[in-house]
Amino acid sequence: MDHELHTSEEIKTVENVEKKLREEAKLLLAEKKVDVLVGYEAGTLPMTATPCFITAPEEADRLVWNAFCVQNLAKFVQDLISLHRQSQQRVKPEARTRKVVGVVARGCTTRSLVIQLQERQFNRDDIFVVGVPCGGYVDKCKVAARVAGQEIREASLVGDQLSVKTAGEAKTLPLGEILADNCLTCRFNNPVISDLMIGSPAPAMAPESEYAGVEAHEKLSLAERWSYFEKEMAKCIRCNACRQVCPSCYCPVCFAEQSQPQWVGISEDETDTQVFQIMRLYHMVGRCVDCGSCVAVCPMGVDLRTFLKKLDKDVFELFGNRAGSSLEDLPPLSQFKEDDREDFIYDPQKAK
Amino acid sequence: MEKRYIKKDSLNGRVKKMAEAGLVYAPVKDGDNVLFQVLTPGMEPLTAYANSKNAPKNFFFPHTEKLMKYTRTEKGMAFSGELAEARDAVLFGVRPCDARSFVLLDMLFDQEKYRDPYYVARREKTTVICLACIHPPYTSCFCTSVDGGPTDAAGADILLTDLGERYLVEFLTPKGEKLEAHFAGEKAGDEADAQKQAITAQAEQEITSRIPAKEIKPILDANFEHPFWNTIHQKCLACGTCTYLCPTCHCFDISDEQKGDDGIRLRNWDSCMFPLFTLETSGHNPRPTQKERWRQRAMHKFKYYVDNFSAIACVGCGRCVMYCPVNIDIRKIVTDISKL
Repeated sequence: MDHELHTSEEIKTVENVEKKLREEAKLLLAEKKVDVLVGYEAGTLPMTATPCFITAPEEADRLVWNAFCVQNLAKFVQDLISLHRQSQQRVKPEARTRKVVGVVARGCTTRSLVIQLQERQFNRDDIFVVGVPCGGYVDKCKVAARVAGQEIREASLVGDQLSVKTAGEAKTLPLGEILADNCLTCRFNNPVISDLMIGSPAPAMAPESEYAGVEAHEKLSLAERWSYFEKEMAKCIRCNACRQVCPSCYCPVCFAEQSQPQWVGISEDETDTQVFQIMRLYHMVGRCVDCGSCVAVCPMGVDLRTFLKKLDKDVFELFGNRAGSSLEDLPPLSQFKEDDREDFIYDPQKAK
Repeated sequence: MEKRYIKKDSLNGRVKKMAEAGLVYAPVKDGDNVLFQVLTPGMEPLTAYANSKNAPKNFFFPHTEKLMKYTRTEKGMAFSGELAEARDAVLFGVRPCDARSFVLLDMLFDQEKYRDPYYVARREKTTVICLACIHPPYTSCFCTSVDGGPTDAAGADILLTDLGERYLVEFLTPKGEKLEAHFAGEKAGDEADAQKQAITAQAEQEITSRIPAKEIKPILDANFEHPFWNTIHQKCLACGTCTYLCPTCHCFDISDEQKGDDGIRLRNWDSCMFPLFTLETSGHNPRPTQKERWRQRAMHKFKYYVDNFSAIACVGCGRCVMYCPVNIDIRKIVTDISKL
């Protein structure tokens, strides 16, 4: 069956995208075009959607698509494929099977898939990308701030509004005021690659102010920037949630976990925390798609985004690259060009 | 033990006075988080708050702790203990679930056979002032399912219960009585008990999360290899949010940090969710995937701790439920296990 026939121009509202997504998921699984589809399902708490793994057509009705879907699912695609490959190593060559992982992917998720493809983590035909248009996701901290930190007991989305109830009050908030910062200035809120697109493209966000926060940060003095870094990292409890959720952090063994030699201590000593975070940040050069997952999962509210966005801005200014924006545009640290700029490299001779 | 009334609006002042006289840890607002911190002049202790982001366990079992120092000398290694003298301290504003966590941690760190001197020293010197929950702060609270309660005093030296205009102050231990001067007020009689009972009944009723936590032990005993364990871990990120925010998780790792001939031995929090947790020197990992790690977390809380200490290692604070990045809900897991 040709999937193109199902895609109608009228699918604009997020509810219709969700409905269509379930229909298409059923077909994909019934036709065995994918072995598993990674998507989102409703969580057990208000304002929560959580990753789910659909393997049978009848489970597809669990899928949801709304502004509570936060995490970048590319992380799970990489995990599933690498686990499958490991398990195949113990199987006779003639008995080996292929596993196609389908994924419900918004713009940032597809950018992460592009990065993983460029970094040769899997082949293009190992994945099936079900692209969805994205209007951004809700930042729970912004909602909390609007209800004086009260627990949200009920939440529902209707159109561009979020209605919430706490123990004492009910409030309706326009989505535009409570979307995550990275969503508000997103440049790629429609998938950059897909095998099947659901719905019509989402309207543009406001990418022109993408670097506003970074520019403000850049204006600070070196001492002020460092003290901001120290202040943010002091909140970190080394739970590793930022690293674990990141689709670009897929190393089988992280430097932070190597014990021979041990690159970084495991204590809560502030220098250990700073070293861990600095090294993780620098591993993100040209590899961060600003999906905001690390910020969303951090239990302590560490501002990682300012630093990641600064690196992103530098890469764009130096190499004109936007991470994962297309399969052809290779990440600057994965290629060599003779005319690469090098004037930013610190030269101790000149510094004298 | 004695009971008193104090005026509600006098509490903050009293806590601040205590902080002038000695070391007081209290819940304070720090950015978007409520955290327990040392109360210094100018800081406002919170008295009408939900619960802190981090559990107060780290005052007795810190994230990182120096156990000893060592030096390489010509005559061999020289060791010296680093058991710092614990200071008298007050831990103010602990919720009943978190106070109960101290009772559970005592079972492990303060046994007849194994007594952790670092933990015990701080525990003995610290007076715990507990703030009863007259309304459960979160819908994910489930203390009543794990032998706790919204006005329970287990683990506390003093219990404060909000009676509307005033607090009922109950001195529960000799350690608590030592702080009596800070809680000068009218003596409370038997009428206070009746009022507290009514508040307790109301608060218990407001706790809507009820899980069969006490029924699953025999099921866990028999189902180590059940296919159920294949179903819960898939979305787990293998981060340590649940274990690091948990008031009862207490696993640790010991590491040495050395420079030249001098080194220190540290004890650090560790998490059964981390792949490194059980990695052996040989490279073998007896818990190779998140499946085994999740089974361990569930088993440790609801089976092994019961085997060892006859208590469930969960106080129902709901932190792991609220802050798990992928919404793995222990309430659902326990309920699902009860149906196996």
